[in-house]
Amino acid sequence: MGLWAVVCGDRGHVTVERLTPLRQITGERRQRIQAFVVASLLALAVWQMMTFISGGWVPSLWRIFKALGADATTANTYAEMWITLRRIFITFAAATAIGVGLGVAMGLSRRVTVFFRPIVVMALAVPDIVYIIVAILVLGTDESSGLIAMVLALVPFVVNIVIGGVGARDPGLDEMSSVYRLQRLRYLVDVVAWQVSPALMAATRTCFAFSWKLIVLVEALSQPRGIGAQIYYSFRLLRPDHMIAQAILFIMVLRLIEAITFGPLERKLLGWMQ
Amino acid sequence: MARKGRSSVSAAADYIRIAGLHVSYDGVTPAVSDLDMTVAEGDFVAVLGPSGCGKSTLLHAISGVVKPQAGLIEVAGQPVGTGRGEHSVPIGYVFQDHRLLPWRTVAQNLAIVLRASGVSDDEIDGRIDRYLDMLHISDFRDTWPLRLSGGQRQRVSIARALAVQPAVVLMDEPFSTLDEVTARIMRQQLAELWQESGQTLVFVTHSIREALFLANRIFILTRGPARVFDVVQVSVARPRRYEDPALTELEAQIVEHVMDQWGYGPSSAGTEGT
Repeated sequence: MGLWAVVCGDRGHVTVERLTPLRQITGERRQRIQAFVVASLLALAVWQMMTFISGGWVPSLWRIFKALGADATTANTYAEMWITLRRIFITFAAATAIGVGLGVAMGLSRRVTVFFRPIVVMALAVPDIVYIIVAILVLGTDESSGLIAMVLALVPFVVNIVIGGVGARDPGLDEMSSVYRLQRLRYLVDVVAWQVSPALMAATRTCFAFSWKLIVLVEALSQPRGIGAQIYYSFRLLRPDHMIAQAILFIMVLRLIEAITFGPLERKLLGWMQ
Repeated sequence: MARKGRSSVSAAADYIRIAGLHVSYDGVTPAVSDLDMTVAEGDFVAVLGPSGCGKSTLLHAISGVVKPQAGLIEVAGQPVGTGRGEHSVPIGYVFQDHRLLPWRTVAQNLAIVLRASGVSDDEIDGRIDRYLDMLHISDFRDTWPLRLSGGQRQRVSIARALAVQPAVVLMDEPFSTLDEVTARIMRQQLAELWQESGQTLVFVTHSIREALFLANRIFILTRGPARVFDVVQVSVARPRRYEDPALTELEAQIVEHVMDQWGYGPSSAGTEGT
């Protein structure tokens, strides 16, 4: 019979695999598993030590585990999570679309680069909290202010990664497409987009990772609903075990989303490299 | 040094007409200067010159990849266009490296350029099969280019160039990156292919033997900026053998002839490498 597990692969793909007994696993894989187990146990030991040193302010592993069980079985947790996920999706989609569009345009056109480069460089240097505060001051604590702030904060990161990818494209393929008179759209789709796809994937993953971290921060600062607001609420009620439990639950959901969306997409886009 | 011999030329004597061509990449240093050349329809000509003399630039100008500063280039009585999507005389180009899209299969690589050339969807499949068959690579129709050998990739590149049924096929040292045995087989096949198709072919090389084996006429360029300083008519009957003593004799004569012009003669002693 044996044990079965859902496994997230190196490239983010998810598979269901039968667990092999540790004694039958050899080589590099065995080393990786051993390293993971040692690192996890070490982290848990350090955490438990912090609990003792802090005199109980840092919740024990057992308290966190209990809070995790309680929050995972509460419908409200998922309602709040859904609100946050919706915000993440909007921010992520807008920032990726704008960032990729601008990045490709800058990578292909010197004029566009000359105009936008200083703006992008400046925008990269601005701390994210400044975007959030300015958006709240200008637009109020409305939901849209946080989303706009996040899009503004994320776009420069995406642009920066995409420009690098477009700039590193093979000039030989540009010549080929020029000789065979490929139409502009075909050139962008068949020649540029595929070359830039590794950078696009990197930009998308970066954008996704940043967007959820920042959205949680925005929710904590200015929103009454969402996981960020719930984490901050738990903090104000001095319930650090629930604060950590909600964060863990949210991270697990996001990792799952990342694995089932980015993994297959990456394999489809980069399959030709295998 | 012009030699008279057998000529297969019977159609328009100035199918490709280049007059007073001047190309410079930086606007200061000429890569091609005051170059005149005519190629008859259905002729196989080689352009011979030392490395870096401007041979590739000449092909780039003929194909419209670079815009000349001065001069005239006409193919089949029409000026060549520049840029993607522009309607102009169809040109097939075999680059030194294959320049296939690695994220597209062999058939898709051909389909993209066929579509850009205005070939109808109904006709594309048949055209692909025909030219892959002609180049003996039908078995690799659905293979990724990265899985092919160097010789197979170059065959695909030749098939792509011929499939668009171009007015002229330009080849830029297409066998220089292949091992000698593969290169010999490819040269032999190219010679046979040309005899079957009667395609107008301009073949750039720095190998005198290769030029003599393949071409009817050889345009010898100056060391740089490129200018035609002599035209050799190759009178050896086809099919030719690569080791033919007649070719060896002609090769020795050409070497002697170009030695001084290319900067390796007695009058150039002491200037080499400066």
